[in-house]
Amino acid sequence: MSARVRVIGCGNPEAGDDAVGLLAVGLARRRLPPEVEVVRAGASLRVLDLLDDVDAVVIADAVRTPAGAREPGTIVRAIGDGDGLPAELRNSLSSHGLGLAEAVGLAAVMGPLPRVTFVGVEAADLTAGHGLSPAVATALPALVDAIVLEVAAMAEAPA
Amino acid sequence: MTHRSVEVPVVARVEGEGALHVRIDDGEITRLELEIYEPPRFFESFLRGRHFSEVSDIVPRICGICPVAYQMSAIHGLERLFAVEVPAGTYELRRLLYCAEWIESHMLHVHLLAAPDFLGFESAIEMAQNGFKPQVERGLRLKRIGNDLMAAIGGREIHPVSPMVGGFSRAATKRELRAFEGRLEDALAEILDVADFVAPLEMPAFPRDAELVSMVNHIDYPMNAGDMASTRGRAWTAETYEQVTEEIHVAHSNALHSVFADTQAPYFVGPLARYNLNEATLTPVAREAAARAGLTTVPNLDPFASMAARVAETALAFEEALRLIRAYEPPDPPHVEVTPRAGRATWTTEAPRGTLYHRYDVDDEGTITEAKIVPPTSQNLRHMEHDLREFLPGVLDRSDEDLTLVAEQIVRNYDPCISCATHFLRLDIERG
Repeated sequence: MSARVRVIGCGNPEAGDDAVGLLAVGLARRRLPPEVEVVRAGASLRVLDLLDDVDAVVIADAVRTPAGAREPGTIVRAIGDGDGLPAELRNSLSSHGLGLAEAVGLAAVMGPLPRVTFVGVEAADLTAGHGLSPAVATALPALVDAIVLEVAAMAEAPA
Repeated sequence: MTHRSVEVPVVARVEGEGALHVRIDDGEITRLELEIYEPPRFFESFLRGRHFSEVSDIVPRICGICPVAYQMSAIHGLERLFAVEVPAGTYELRRLLYCAEWIESHMLHVHLLAAPDFLGFESAIEMAQNGFKPQVERGLRLKRIGNDLMAAIGGREIHPVSPMVGGFSRAATKRELRAFEGRLEDALAEILDVADFVAPLEMPAFPRDAELVSMVNHIDYPMNAGDMASTRGRAWTAETYEQVTEEIHVAHSNALHSVFADTQAPYFVGPLARYNLNEATLTPVAREAAARAGLTTVPNLDPFASMAARVAETALAFEEALRLIRAYEPPDPPHVEVTPRAGRATWTTEAPRGTLYHRYDVDDEGTITEAKIVPPTSQNLRHMEHDLREFLPGVLDRSDEDLTLVAEQIVRNYDPCISCATHFLRLDIERG
């Protein structure tokens, strides 16, 4: 039996590049096997409730490195370990309570995690009411490809 | 002259970093400014020119944690302006959806944001790693009932997709909702354990006078409907909200501060205000939870009693959810046709953090010409500053670290609807 995989998009659809994770999982959906569940979760906190009943999750979101250390549009990939996601993803673009790394980290303390892979794009503009910035819009197809590839890799891995 | 200043950047993320600046000269606070970023301001202009039918999809995006509140204030207001008669059962389903949001938001705040503070941990993760795993687990389990209920009614999307002006795009089935009965029954027992857990938490003593504001509704504890009242006897309605209260610009912040228009005095909205003004309509388990969490007298103006009020309101939301689900008949049809008319729509509902006021000016084609959204957090901002001004002078001899913690606790206690409710405060003190 192949692994059960869930794809989760995080972000705010009305806050510029913060929409990219949601857009990417929406676009990836049609290229994924029907048994893969795709959830547009919005606030990263919701990820807390989306980590059980599956063998693997792929999470897509916008990220922003402090002090512009990374070019906008750069694709970022991170693999979770037993303790959650790398600390770099702390304070990822959550405006609410808990960032993604904190949510996954908390889930890791509470019980065994599924395999967690994060794919993201370095954001440039997070202004409410704006669309994607040119750099992030250009990167969107690559983010969609990354999600599809990660799901394929996870589905083949032993559950 | 000795000089000391405390800089606490409150929101170290996304746009609009917020911060707390405190300057102390010769043992006296000479400057205290709380700066907080407010997303609703962008949305007000963004809503102009949109059709009314789009509003219930746009406003929930203001907030990832209280999307229902934003939808409800908008939908109820527009329905009243358009004189819509919604199908029977719509009000009950909306109240159920609101219960789900209170459960999720309050349990998040109590267990993941506030409890670590009072137990001396950096975060809920550290709290769970150091002997409190069962309590965190219980909190997450209870919070999840709210999430799952919201998903059952509104769809498992970024925000509930089914509420609309005129009803619901799809009404949950009896079977879908009945599935929650067992979990809600268990939750009614567990929430009393949560009350026992928060009761002994050591909190700063902070008795002070304040004017608390919430909706009142003599039939049930207010969520979707009611008039406005204060603990000093004021009474008004959504129609006069902008006459009774006023938003003032303050130089140090992008945010507007709310005050009473006549006295220019700050006020305080939220669970403690609701409890004080609506104690009579508490449900039985909520009443027991309040007592066990330490809320025994009315009025209770101690801001730190807000945690107990959140536990009591969660109990109420569980009881109400169970009652509404047992009596549930799906609205049929789920929604009705709506014909717009020109005019002004106003409404308030009780978001988890307090009263949320919306106003929409609409033309005869149903296009929004002007929108105004006054969220609970901005109404509380001035009161947060007021509390800090009252409390900090008594503890100025403490270390910078202690001073930061107590400042954080005071701000976090309002459960501001922004990331400042998390443990990210950086302290930057200037002492002369």
